[in-house]
Amino acid sequence: MGSESYDVARSRLGGSSSRPGWLVVAGQEVRDLWLGGRGPILLFAFSLLLSVITYLTAANKELNLLDQKDTVNLVMQVTLAVGVALALLLSADTLSGERERGTLEALLLTPLVPREIALGKLLAALTVWPAVVAVSVPYAWALRIGTGLFTDAVASAIVVGTLVAITFASLGVIVSIFSSTNRLSVAVSFFAFVALVVPTQLPGGLGKGWLGDAFSRVNPLTAGAHFMDKVIASNHSWSQDASWLVSPILAALIAVTVAAVLAGRLRLQGGMGR
Amino acid sequence: MKPRDERADMAAGAGAAATAGAAEPIVVADAIWKSFGPVTAVRDLSFEARPGEIIGLLGPNGAGKTTAIRVLSTILPPTRGKFTLDGIPHTRPVEIRRRIGVLPESSGFPLNQTGGEFLRYHARLFGHPAGRAREVAAALLSEVGLAERASSPIATYSRGMRQRLGVARALVNDPKLIFLDEPTLGLDPAGQRQMLQLIRNLARQRGTTVILSTHFLDEVEQACPRVIILNRGRVVAQGTVAEMIRKAAAPRTGRFQVPSEMQETALTALKGARGVASAAYADGHDGSLMITLDEASLVTAQSGGAGMSGAITALMDAGVPILSFELEGSRLSDAFFSMTKED
Repeated sequence: MGSESYDVARSRLGGSSSRPGWLVVAGQEVRDLWLGGRGPILLFAFSLLLSVITYLTAANKELNLLDQKDTVNLVMQVTLAVGVALALLLSADTLSGERERGTLEALLLTPLVPREIALGKLLAALTVWPAVVAVSVPYAWALRIGTGLFTDAVASAIVVGTLVAITFASLGVIVSIFSSTNRLSVAVSFFAFVALVVPTQLPGGLGKGWLGDAFSRVNPLTAGAHFMDKVIASNHSWSQDASWLVSPILAALIAVTVAAVLAGRLRLQGGMGR
Repeated sequence: MKPRDERADMAAGAGAAATAGAAEPIVVADAIWKSFGPVTAVRDLSFEARPGEIIGLLGPNGAGKTTAIRVLSTILPPTRGKFTLDGIPHTRPVEIRRRIGVLPESSGFPLNQTGGEFLRYHARLFGHPAGRAREVAAALLSEVGLAERASSPIATYSRGMRQRLGVARALVNDPKLIFLDEPTLGLDPAGQRQMLQLIRNLARQRGTTVILSTHFLDEVEQACPRVIILNRGRVVAQGTVAEMIRKAAAPRTGRFQVPSEMQETALTALKGARGVASAAYADGHDGSLMITLDEASLVTAQSGGAGMSGAITALMDAGVPILSFELEGSRLSDAFFSMTKED
């Protein structure tokens, strides 16, 4: 290539038709996730899980001890848990994965600031959430008969899930910023997810009493799940239990802000040092 | 490429560097230090590079070459010191990154992407619109000889092809300065030759300044008119290859082969020769003699030539025919080992 053509290239750099860097990163990551095969495989596995649940709860009357509303609620709660877990694990793989594959240095050598790189990757990881919701919609539709709560069920799942997915995906990015290996990043993120979910499931433990109630309200995942439970299974109005959305909203705002601040500390080698 | 072509390229490169000598330096590094806790990887690194120069960054493993490149390419902040690139201070890393290209050591690649996709992506990260990114990617793939493999996944590329793809990636922004960190590591001889030719073309055709980090000394002798030698993070020498050899004051010896029946006469003549510190038989008294050049000839001579010529003159004056002779310790490698030897 002659230098003349590159003079043209140089003059066009930063031109008005070029996309922001974070959008370019997000676009590439979305292609890698959904065309590279990983995303579709995850969705296929999720749809298998929903199929089993639907079969056991809708087709097999002997096994199904839940009423119809609880069944829809179960499907949407599973959707929330799986969607959030996938967003967390995919985001935990982003920067530490680049680091492990030796491709992070090339990204850091571009004119993008680390915050743009992290934002692009966060957005790409979050695309798994609407995809998971899209998979769950036909199941909710099939199970809704006689309940009349299809719209509320899906809408509450979208609102709560979006907030919680943003929170957990941001958490995954934060862990990924500092993890020197992908395995460490995914393990820490998974542990964080389990640590936030398990205490509420313990019989007679943290799930009960004022401590359990406080934990459920502060924990965005359990608070969001509680809100969905009330809207779907108890037919509460949204305003009736709106206080349970405070935690997911605040957590999403805080997590994104912290991730944005800490993204500035993205380094080639990981760890906390400079 | 034939050796004759390489010499022509070297001459062209040296000419370009000489022309560039009058130009403003593209890089000015001023007393850069980089420490990781108690470990200092780069100490007091200072140098200048001018447009179109190819500078070899030499040093043994752990000398600080990669760290120096990471500091200069803004991946790592310097602990102390400062540098400018194209007049831009190191405190403005984003602007510097717009002007440089880097082939990192052991760079990884997204193996599921094709070479074309990979370059288009990076072209877009440097601000090229989609259409222009396609043009840049196609042109660069052609320039590095990968046009026919543009649609193949990188996973199917050989090591040499990946290194050339890495060089192409470093060029997507048409940089004024390119850092190549061990670009020939792991390549076969043909791949090494291709890579060196590519590097020479970058400097000659584009006017790009190249800083080539390597520990293959013959590569530096082939491609780099100027070298910087690092050892334990410190610059131990910098200058042209000839200057390096001279500065190194490497122990230099000469070896003569004379008719065995005249070896005693030859030994006597050599012991009294100008510039010769000592002379002795070598290889079992079969007419083989070894001399050590004295300090004075090492300091003042070009590659020990004065001491050697003094020895040759002495033998000729004594009427001893010289069947063969060779001067040892006159290559860049000798200078390198002399400057980087362990204390």
